[in-house]
Amino acid sequence: MNAFSRGSAPLRKAAWIDYGRFLLLVGLAVWLLALGTRGLGYPWQWYRVPAFLFSADNGIWTAGPLLRGLAVTLQISLLSLVGSLLFGLTAALLRLSSSFSARALARGYLELIRNTPLLIQIFFVYFVLSPVLDIGAFASATLALSLFEGAYAAEILRAGIVSLHRGQWEAAHSLGLGTFDTYRHVILPQAVRRVLPPLAGQAISLVKDSALVSTIAIYDLTMQGQKIVAETFLAFEIWFTVAAIYLVMTFGLSFLVRGLEKRMNGTPLHGAGGFG
Amino acid sequence: MTVQARIIEATELSKTFPGGVVALDRFTLSVGRGEVVVVIGPSGSGKSTFLRCLNGLEEVDRGTVVIDGIPLDHHRKNRLLIRREVGMVFQSFNLFPHMTVRENIDLAQVRVRRKSREEAAETTMGLLRKVDIQEKADRYPHELSGGQQQRVAIARALAMNPKVMLFDEATSALDPEMIGEVLEVMRTLAAEGMTMVVVTHEMGFAREAGDRIVFMEAGRIVEEGETERFFGSPRQERTKVFLRQIL
Repeated sequence: MNAFSRGSAPLRKAAWIDYGRFLLLVGLAVWLLALGTRGLGYPWQWYRVPAFLFSADNGIWTAGPLLRGLAVTLQISLLSLVGSLLFGLTAALLRLSSSFSARALARGYLELIRNTPLLIQIFFVYFVLSPVLDIGAFASATLALSLFEGAYAAEILRAGIVSLHRGQWEAAHSLGLGTFDTYRHVILPQAVRRVLPPLAGQAISLVKDSALVSTIAIYDLTMQGQKIVAETFLAFEIWFTVAAIYLVMTFGLSFLVRGLEKRMNGTPLHGAGGFG
Repeated sequence: MTVQARIIEATELSKTFPGGVVALDRFTLSVGRGEVVVVIGPSGSGKSTFLRCLNGLEEVDRGTVVIDGIPLDHHRKNRLLIRREVGMVFQSFNLFPHMTVRENIDLAQVRVRRKSREEAAETTMGLLRKVDIQEKADRYPHELSGGQQQRVAIARALAMNPKVMLFDEATSALDPEMIGEVLEVMRTLAAEGMTMVVVTHEMGFAREAGDRIVFMEAGRIVEEGETERFFGSPRQERTKVFLRQIL
């Protein structure tokens, strides 16, 4: 990141060469793409794309199908994030519990989820569970994503919990705190702070994985893109646009987390608090 | 010593760690109310294990521990009851790093003793004055020196208003210049009549503040006795050798 701000003159020169190479590569990729599409005789129609994002009639802005799809993707991602943290925390605590059946239950959940494809899980929840539970496509999608990402969040949280020094447990126990209070006030606040970076990575995966819910007739960003392409044959323009929107979302998330980490850097174990 | 006067009764404790290390071997010791017992011995002799068995941080294989009439058995309720009445200070302080000094001391008062925030805050400030560190109330542990952290840890244990205080090598991790300030607090506590079981290598403290010295090795008591007699005329050859090495 700071290639220009630090280092000696030769280092700075090396950084310039590096950036030059990078631009050269990007240029080459664009050129190849242009060459390919010319060969195909693809008629670029970028001017039609904004209409799918939004329309402005008499000064009134209306979201187009792509932005409506984005709203659905954001909704599903956010709800599933909350759900995955709940499933993840529960599974992590069960795995660390002293009860054999609790550990076996958590273990079964983790192995089942992590060793089957997400697409199959979404189908399973939608076609098998949803009629039983009497839930719609949106709830099925949220449940499937929560279960899937929750299994990974569980392992991250567990790693954070076991990384803490045993003395923290002992100090809490010696004061008469029970398991619940110890987790809530002593262990989890520290563990979560430690594993924030991998948890954030998991959130980014969640946003990307949410594209799969388009397979069960949910009009998220991906599904809207598919529909527009089917109607207009603007395959290149629309898929580029959809990909760019996902990129903006995940980049935004990464920057958010990087900022958060930086703020906690140097003061590794206090800061925002909120758990106190 | 009458039965009522005994607050700690540890009878025939045995404990073998996985791997075969014998930490306690039919170890029996009782402590009277207000008594200060100092446990000494070479490292690995089971001193810390004994201390940790008194509040259930370590499980014994055999034997019984009774604290103030409550048996430390498999009932969760009894264990929690005992832990409320027994304060412990660790070698590595074990303060909660994400909480300020004040929050460290407030936590168990509010969560375990069910005090109101105001009541807890009052007790906390009183204790911080007692260990002479009130100006650091809103600092985090990592901003404090080792000696200051250990004094906060003592205040945290005292906040539960315990009947017994256990000190597990409380000064062993400290820089030499900070040992004095922690021992000072411990001496004050002893003088106030607190029941204390102290595992330490500080013979000066043992002589000055201890009522009784217990010398243990390989999980057994080699010799115990009233402080002056113990240091003045040790009976066992092993004790003499140990004291020569350490003094």
